Amino acid sequence: MDQASAILIWLAYLLYAAAFAVFLIGFFTQRPWMNRLGLIVAAVGLVAQTLGIIFRGVDAGHFPFAGLYESLVLVSWAIVLVWHVLESFTKIKAVGLYVMPVVLVLLTIALVEYNPPTGLAPALRSDIVIVHVSVMLVAIGCLYVAGGAAIIYLIEEALLHRRKTGGVLGRLPSIASLDRLIYHATALGLPFLTMGMAAGVIRAETFKVPGWPTDPMVLLSAAAWAVYVALIAGRVRGDWSGRAVSWLAVTGLILLLVIRFAAIPYLSGFHTYGG
Amino acid sequence: MHVVVAGISHKTASLELRERLALDEEAALHVSQELLDEGVACEAVALSTCNRTELYLYGRDSLAARQAALSHLARHAGVAPGELEPSLYSYSGDGAIAHLFRVTSSLDSMVVGEAQIVAQLKAAYQQACDGGCTAVVFNRLFRHALEVGKRVRTETAIGERPVSVSSAAVELALQVFGKLRDHTVLIVGAGETSELTATHLKAHGIEKILVTNRTFAAAEDLARRVGGKAVPFEDLEGHLSAADIVISSTSAPHYVITRERVERAFRHRRHRPMFLIDIAVPRDLDPEINRVRDAYLYDIDDLQHVVEENRSEREKEALHAERIVEQELASVNDWLRSLEVVPTIATLREAVEEIRRGELQRLSNRLSDLTDEQRAQVDMLTTSIVNKILHVPTVKMKEVAGRDQCYLYVDAVRTLFDLDAGEDGEEPAAGDGAAQPPAAAKPDGGEPSAPAGGTVHHLRGTGTEDA
Repeated sequence: MDQASAILIWLAYLLYAAAFAVFLIGFFTQRPWMNRLGLIVAAVGLVAQTLGIIFRGVDAGHFPFAGLYESLVLVSWAIVLVWHVLESFTKIKAVGLYVMPVVLVLLTIALVEYNPPTGLAPALRSDIVIVHVSVMLVAIGCLYVAGGAAIIYLIEEALLHRRKTGGVLGRLPSIASLDRLIYHATALGLPFLTMGMAAGVIRAETFKVPGWPTDPMVLLSAAAWAVYVALIAGRVRGDWSGRAVSWLAVTGLILLLVIRFAAIPYLSGFHTYGG
Repeated sequence: MHVVVAGISHKTASLELRERLALDEEAALHVSQELLDEGVACEAVALSTCNRTELYLYGRDSLAARQAALSHLARHAGVAPGELEPSLYSYSGDGAIAHLFRVTSSLDSMVVGEAQIVAQLKAAYQQACDGGCTAVVFNRLFRHALEVGKRVRTETAIGERPVSVSSAAVELALQVFGKLRDHTVLIVGAGETSELTATHLKAHGIEKILVTNRTFAAAEDLARRVGGKAVPFEDLEGHLSAADIVISSTSAPHYVITRERVERAFRHRRHRPMFLIDIAVPRDLDPEINRVRDAYLYDIDDLQHVVEENRSEREKEALHAERIVEQELASVNDWLRSLEVVPTIATLREAVEEIRRGELQRLSNRLSDLTDEQRAQVDMLTTSIVNKILHVPTVKMKEVAGRDQCYLYVDAVRTLFDLDAGEDGEEPAAGDGAAQPPAAAKPDGGEPSAPAGGTVHHLRGTGTEDA
């Protein structure tokens, strides 16, 4: 079972790499159908990854979120899922080109850090932990996509203001559609982030985790949450320019990355599952 | 047989001459039919656009075809042939087909990559086809040319980037807004370029057009032409906050819209982006506006620069397109070569059959005492001898069809049996004979041997029926 899971995750990895190649070729040769092909290839990868995660969970006997390998596989899965959902809603061209590298990097780290399934630490055997993890996954998927879109927005805005109209500009999605994507992805991700954090707080309170409010990870998460609340509020009120909104989304993304790759493994006192 | 093209284009002739030579639908068909009637060509298509007037002919003598085309064009335009001669270009064979492909690929157009020519050529061909001026060769060749045009457009980025100021402005607006429906454009000053740009924007789905001008009457006038609404110049600032796209082209000597005005307008816009185009010289819009968040300002120089860049981009793409034309030329050539074989075999068989029947006729007196049965046997015997003798040459000809040197065989057969001389007297019949069999065999997929096979069947059928 574990072997089947590992093979499926590898298969997904290769399919994502293929999808990325297709997006890249499509980007340079300007073939709209290449984007559709890439989406299909990535969707097949997503199915493989989903099965891989299920097999892994069956094998380990629990929701597979323990350890760096499992958590990164889950995060990359959530990103691909959210991206597919948003793509079908917003129909924005060429976003796959920016999502795929992130997913590939996360999966590469995961595959390098592969470890066989183990039993769950006693502290993680709790329903609220599973709720916390799954809700956070959706939030992270959305907010990563928003951050990616914000980076493209900032590049494109700079190109337009500097009148660099040749080269890649014509191949990027329009300013307005990126603005919408940032807003929609954040508006979708923020409630999940809120729920996930609430679940975390409930869990910390019920188990009386000592000193949790001052844990670096908790503080950084609160900061990220505030950034996203500010983004949504400012965007709805129309106070902030598209540029400001994009910078907030990028700031949020940086905070999330710091949490994932610095706070969880090195700084946090109790988020030890991240390995 | 050769494909010949003769004509004039923006590259060789002045606008005045092009105007005089322009053929309307009726005239185009008329000229083609005249050329067919004269017998210089057995297929003809006339293409006339504002940038070119060309006659495509398929005939035995390329020089005669060219001369006929020249004299017909000159007569139609009412100019002396000598006057037209220096502007006239003509190609035959590969050169003519390559030219046709380059025309449909818009490589020969004034604006490389423009899209209209495909539709124009399609219409010209369709009309010639309906008028009965085309047959196997041009039906296939022109359809192929249209395919080449399509292929070039899909496989290269030749028509991708806009190369006029107004379409470049629209392209940039699309880059900002994605789609233009539900957006508002404000036109300040009633210039020609702003009208053109407004028309372009409208074609891209923009619904709300506001026009303002110092003299209200001029604003109303332009508003009527572009289907917009005239608003008083004094309310400029109020309308500015409602506008997503601003096009300014007044003759004011100072800035009409300053940075402060745009900043104030943004307070009511909730920071939706604004795209401003300044086509006026001296400029109407303060260049500082570009520093305002969510405002994108392009002046006439910026747009010119975009156009220049796109032009050089298209030229790069044109090189890819030329390669596609070369490939397609090679593929259509194979087919044309095999096509030469088909009528040659047909004519050869006809000529020999003619001799056979002539000889039977001549001997009919001496054979008069034969019974009907015996006469039928003589007929069968001679037919069988003729078929046996012609069998090997027919097979061999079919074998070489499509090969490079196949024209040598065609020439040899035509010379040895003096087929061309015999044909002159009955051009239409020969034309028919050449035209029908491949058409019948076309569904087979156009393999070089398929039309040839079709021919032989066809002729055998006729031979026995006659006997």
